[in-house]
Amino acid sequence: MLLEVNNVSGGYGHKKIIKNVSCKADKGEILCLLGPNGCGKTTLFRMILGILPLSSGNIMLDGKDLSSLSQRERANLIAYIPQSHTPSFSYSVLDVVLMGRAAFISSLKTPGSKDMEAAKNALNLLHILHLADRKYTDLSGGQRQLVLIARAICQSSKILVLDEPAASLDYANQQLLINVISDLAKKGFCIIMSTHSPEHPASIGDKTLLLKEGQVAAFGSSDEVITNDNLKMVYGIEIDVVNVTDRYGNKRTICLPVQKTSKLS
Amino acid sequence: MNKNSKLLKFDRFFKSKYIFVFMTLALFAIVIISFGIGYYPLSPSEVFKAFLSRFIEIDDIKKQAVTIFWNIRLPRILSACFIGASLSVAGSTYQGMFRNPLVSPDILGVSSGASLGAALAILLGSSNFTIQMSAFLGGIAAVLFSYIISRNSPHSQIISLVLTGSMVMALCNAGVTLIKYISDPNDVLQQITFWLMGSLTKTNNEAFLWSFIPMLLGLIIIFLLRWKINLLTLDDEEAQTMGINIRFYRAIFIIASTMLSAAAVCLGGLIGWVGLMIPHMARAICGVNYERLIPLSALLGAAYLVLMDDIARSILSLELPIGVVTSIVGAPFFIYLIIKRKD
Repeated sequence: MLLEVNNVSGGYGHKKIIKNVSCKADKGEILCLLGPNGCGKTTLFRMILGILPLSSGNIMLDGKDLSSLSQRERANLIAYIPQSHTPSFSYSVLDVVLMGRAAFISSLKTPGSKDMEAAKNALNLLHILHLADRKYTDLSGGQRQLVLIARAICQSSKILVLDEPAASLDYANQQLLINVISDLAKKGFCIIMSTHSPEHPASIGDKTLLLKEGQVAAFGSSDEVITNDNLKMVYGIEIDVVNVTDRYGNKRTICLPVQKTSKLS
Repeated sequence: MNKNSKLLKFDRFFKSKYIFVFMTLALFAIVIISFGIGYYPLSPSEVFKAFLSRFIEIDDIKKQAVTIFWNIRLPRILSACFIGASLSVAGSTYQGMFRNPLVSPDILGVSSGASLGAALAILLGSSNFTIQMSAFLGGIAAVLFSYIISRNSPHSQIISLVLTGSMVMALCNAGVTLIKYISDPNDVLQQITFWLMGSLTKTNNEAFLWSFIPMLLGLIIIFLLRWKINLLTLDDEEAQTMGINIRFYRAIFIIASTMLSAAAVCLGGLIGWVGLMIPHMARAICGVNYERLIPLSALLGAAYLVLMDDIARSILSLELPIGVVTSIVGAPFFIYLIIKRKD
């Protein structure tokens, strides 16, 4: 198992936000974190990334206890991809991706040819090598997100953690990004992503962790977790999970919020 | 089209390593020309002979020219070079660290602390050397104070530092005002005002050598670690997940920048705008990557301050304080920056 979260609890100060959460994911799998605002997705992420200490339980990365790893060792196992942001300075795309090599570059050194190669390979893997010399700040939100993914790949970690990668992207870019993520899983990365859309786990997530008020509401394969009852329990509204077939004959799952009658009539 | 391809050629030059060669040569040229400029002008041949007279016997040279070259202009020009480089490098570093291109090297109170240190020493009637030392220690103490208080704040480290820095600055400025108020207006007050003005007239070989050590040390530390500043421009947590001990590097860069600014202030007083302006010019030329930005900031800053000092000592029959010159040039540049540039 690449990632194992065992009975983890914790939060900020005396306020416990995460209570007894367990889940796991392996190479080539996508684990989706789903739940309403404030359910503890971000807190759990910060724990998995080693930023927030646990008050109980443990997290194993590739068989090693997270708390026993140095910052550098951790960076070699797990990489974080934030939501695309606007940085204070207009770095070139290549500069941004090269920063992913930080853990490999000793204090007194600057990036060398090996690092340059790794950065270009990462850009190539995502088919955005042509953006290398562009300014990161001039790119669209979708392109920026891809650049940040390239930066994480450059970090050589097997586990990629994505914080709502599709948020703030337009419809087409969301689809593009979802495809990229599912390709990366096929290439052997273990992907952990948080999302607000139950359709993401339903379409690409192998596993889903459904969180409610910091506790596990359901965990398992996405087919088992994404059900009418589970979604209603977590979100408090009626949702129909519908299986359909698209024009190419692929089986798809969509989620429809429903209501008996309109309240206005 | 033609204009465009010309611009592209410039751009390629700016992004290559030749820009460093060019800037180094330009700095040398400016330094050599500066030896001739001043109240007592020296012709190029006099400059050359005065330089050689140290090493070989030269007959037809006035004693005065030799003294001016070695004891007045040399320490002054070297001081201008190192103060310019130090303030620019400290400014670049802080702008990255605080993720804000409008930050200047005194954000943590280093110049105010140094001013207080100097004012206090002058009030007590100390020697020049003690005034210099007191200024240096005052600058360091102010930053240390800001840093220590910021550690107890629940806000993010960057915001805490900005807040505690401005608090320490206000305190030190109040102290300086108080000292000025109680000091003798015919003697001590004049001396304090003069000291704070920002001027290179008081530089001599001894003063330069004392400040040279911390400045060189700070420049070397930042130069060696310069690529890491890029990572400090990221979010704290983002940088942490990339395997960087962000608080460690931040502490190192604060120490190095403080040595730079404190030494610069105790050698030349308050010389404003250089640390804010030069990093912008350097960024416009070579881009934002600190791997190139730090060396270019140092070269540009050195050349700029030597030029400004040439203006200060030659434009009027009496010598202007260099702080006035850099402010007159710097303020319009800042306005241009606010209106024009977006990065």
